[in-house]
Amino acid sequence: MSTRRETVRELRRTRPVDRFARRSVALIALLVAATWLFGVLDLPALARDAFVDDFATLREESARAHANVTRFLGEVRPYPLHGRPWDTAVAARWATDLFVEGIPRFDIPSGFEAAWRTLAISITAIVMAGLAATLCAFPAARTFATPEPFLPGSDRISALQRRAWRAALLVARGLLVFLRSVPEYVWAYLLIGMLGISAWPAVVALAIHNAGILGKLDAETVENLAPQPLAALRGAGATRRQVAFVGALPAALSRFLLYFFYRWETCVREATVLGMLGIVSLGYALSETRIRQRYDDMLFYILLGTVLVLVGDLVSLVARGLVRRAS
Amino acid sequence: MAPSAAFRLADVSVVYDGLAALDHVDLEIAPGEAVAFVGPSGAGKTTLLKLLNGTLRPSGGCVQVDGRCLGRRSERERRAVRAQIGFVHQDLALVPNLRVIQNVVAGRLGRMGLLRSLRELTFPPEATAEAVHATLERVGIAEKLYQRTDSLSGGQRQRVAIARALYQEPTALLADEPVSSVDPARARDTVALLARISREEGLTLCMSIHNLDLAREHFPRIVGLRRGRKLLDAATAAIADAQFDALYQLSAEELLRDGA
Amino acid sequence: MRAELRRPPPVGVRSAVVLSLLAAGVVSFFRLGLTWEQLVPGRDAFRQMGAFLAAAFTPALVNEAGAPPGTPPLLRQALDAAALTVVFATTALSVALVLGVGLGFLASSVWWSGERATARSPAARLFARVVAPAMLAAARTLIAVMRSIHELVWAILLLCALGLNDLAAVVAIAIPFGGTLAKVFSEMLDEAPRDSADALRGAGASRTQVFLFGLLPRALPDMAAYTLYRYECALRSSAILGFFGWRTLGYFIKQQWDVADYPEVWTYLYTLLALVLLVEWWSGQIRRRFVA
Repeated sequence: MSTRRETVRELRRTRPVDRFARRSVALIALLVAATWLFGVLDLPALARDAFVDDFATLREESARAHANVTRFLGEVRPYPLHGRPWDTAVAARWATDLFVEGIPRFDIPSGFEAAWRTLAISITAIVMAGLAATLCAFPAARTFATPEPFLPGSDRISALQRRAWRAALLVARGLLVFLRSVPEYVWAYLLIGMLGISAWPAVVALAIHNAGILGKLDAETVENLAPQPLAALRGAGATRRQVAFVGALPAALSRFLLYFFYRWETCVREATVLGMLGIVSLGYALSETRIRQRYDDMLFYILLGTVLVLVGDLVSLVARGLVRRAS
Repeated sequence: MAPSAAFRLADVSVVYDGLAALDHVDLEIAPGEAVAFVGPSGAGKTTLLKLLNGTLRPSGGCVQVDGRCLGRRSERERRAVRAQIGFVHQDLALVPNLRVIQNVVAGRLGRMGLLRSLRELTFPPEATAEAVHATLERVGIAEKLYQRTDSLSGGQRQRVAIARALYQEPTALLADEPVSSVDPARARDTVALLARISREEGLTLCMSIHNLDLAREHFPRIVGLRRGRKLLDAATAAIADAQFDALYQLSAEELLRDGA
Repeated sequence: MRAELRRPPPVGVRSAVVLSLLAAGVVSFFRLGLTWEQLVPGRDAFRQMGAFLAAAFTPALVNEAGAPPGTPPLLRQALDAAALTVVFATTALSVALVLGVGLGFLASSVWWSGERATARSPAARLFARVVAPAMLAAARTLIAVMRSIHELVWAILLLCALGLNDLAAVVAIAIPFGGTLAKVFSEMLDEAPRDSADALRGAGASRTQVFLFGLLPRALPDMAAYTLYRYECALRSSAILGFFGWRTLGYFIKQQWDVADYPEVWTYLYTLLALVLLVEWWSGQIRRRFVA
């Protein structure tokens, strides 16, 4: 059936192809290959090493890495047990001391204090972010940032008014983009320089970054609300603000809360890390122990952070379940 | 062409959550026969079809395909049985974001190893493309071979689903309400198409169908189900209108329960 | 019409959640010893903030006059830093994707359900009742642990163990990102429509074939869009690794901030912003095409 063969070939030749998707895939493949070969592995250097130096560099590096890892694994053993056989009772006492007292000699907070401060930072920050995002969501939503939301267009609206609202929308969205594009760690670093050492830089950094993210998600939620009930409210004479808080907010609240808890999970992780900038929390204990090369203590604080994060995830899971069932 | 399949249900019951979807049903379908299953919603028509291709296990009794009880066969054998029975689903169950050719090729997965299926589905060889083209020709949409499935109309998608079942080279075709997702004119075409293809190739055809007129027009034998029981099983010509009325008429008690 | 006119859902549980959140916020606020006065910067800090914000309009484009000889041109440095940021993010995410797909399959309920769960032989029953739940729990636990340690903490651990090493940076990002991708992928697979998978099983396809050709394609557009979003996040994380000594964008942001050269800080901040926005635009385009 040579005619069928030709027909099939013709169909294949003229099949619809998404060029953008193809190019994207090609670009990604190219990018991954290039970054591996020339970035991380540095193929030219590796080749030189292989053919000219008979793997001298590679051998030297792997020997060094091996020595480093061996040293590190020795050092993460609790120090009362250095050079001694494993004794769970001793290790437990060491861990309890760290959890209750920390290392007073170096002003390193107890595990308990570091953990609750981390938790408190994350909660304060996410609550602030949530409040700010709820307020930002409306001017950043296309359905609200118009001269007459949820009403059919009227001749009385001037071009100027239209433009003013368009500008407001752009400003609100631009602000949210800016807030979320700068990582919280950078925010915190910049803020510590200005505000000095307290919990504020961490709280503010987490709050603004997450306000940017939550604001975007919440604005999308508001835009996707069913317009009929809101239009009905508006038709009954409600103002923009009334429509937002009486009509839209209750309808969008469940979504807002789900996003809120998802971001809180991230916040707990980030709060741990921001402490490394000098704010008393788990991260602070982590960086202080690291500077003093007390890797055993450092690992304790890392594991404590892991437990905190897992507990936070669990709380969030339960809370999201509650919210889902209630809506 | 493979010989057509014979089915036999012996005292089969299916119980979901304490409710009997099928209640001690006996049924025999000869090779090459065309049978319509009729009855109100919830009568057990879909359950019956799922039993016939072995995706559903009976709670009691025995489903025989070609003389052997499915329950006694190994998993491998049951897969082989399913691979030779084409099923056209009510909701079509296609993958919308794949091309038509990939959806049709997927029909023959049961006869391919994993590696071969990876090759055939990602980069279909020319011979495969031609075979799929021929199958699509039989359902009248050959030119859609390389289109994305979600770019087709409802009627065309239904033909893709039929082509997928045909590409299995089945010995029997099962179709679950193939007319519920298209308009009445298309429905007539679809039933006619399935009836013609099964007749031409000697396939056993079982179809659950709501529309009695279509059932009488295209099927020589009709099985009537109601609340999991077989109430009617006869040659179409021998069935009186009154019998159909009895099948569909709801008792006062049933009306009250359905409304609640 | 009735659904449209219906009152919004009852707010009992949700108000309780909101109120307890606010209460938790207030308690945390006071337990941390925060006061609003602390938030008002002193005069020096105020001036500093003003200078920093003013510099936003005049990012540096060339080296300052007093730069030591031999310093590469500023934009060249910014581009190099951006390139290294991209290198770490891309390689790390490629590893994370492999981890995410593998673990995501293993952590989805659908991978373990199906055929064998309904089969009757003793081996199959053992698989369905013991092996599958155990493997599922193991995969999910592994994912939770990978995710619960932040990439910067992984970075510190690897720094302590290996020293400043490019591969350490890649691994540090790849582990938690792999965990997160795996978690989200498994949820997407579990939530994907099952109809086509059931149909393929009905046509005699094997468990693996059903999964690959019936289920995976249904979740694939969402998975691709989410991966691109995580690429954005990886770029940010890669930039921040600079604070620990790798020469990505964060390294220079910290360096210039420490010497109060705000115009140059903004140069690097804008470079980061441009990178992130470029990827955001790109993923937006892809999402628009594939996720209806």
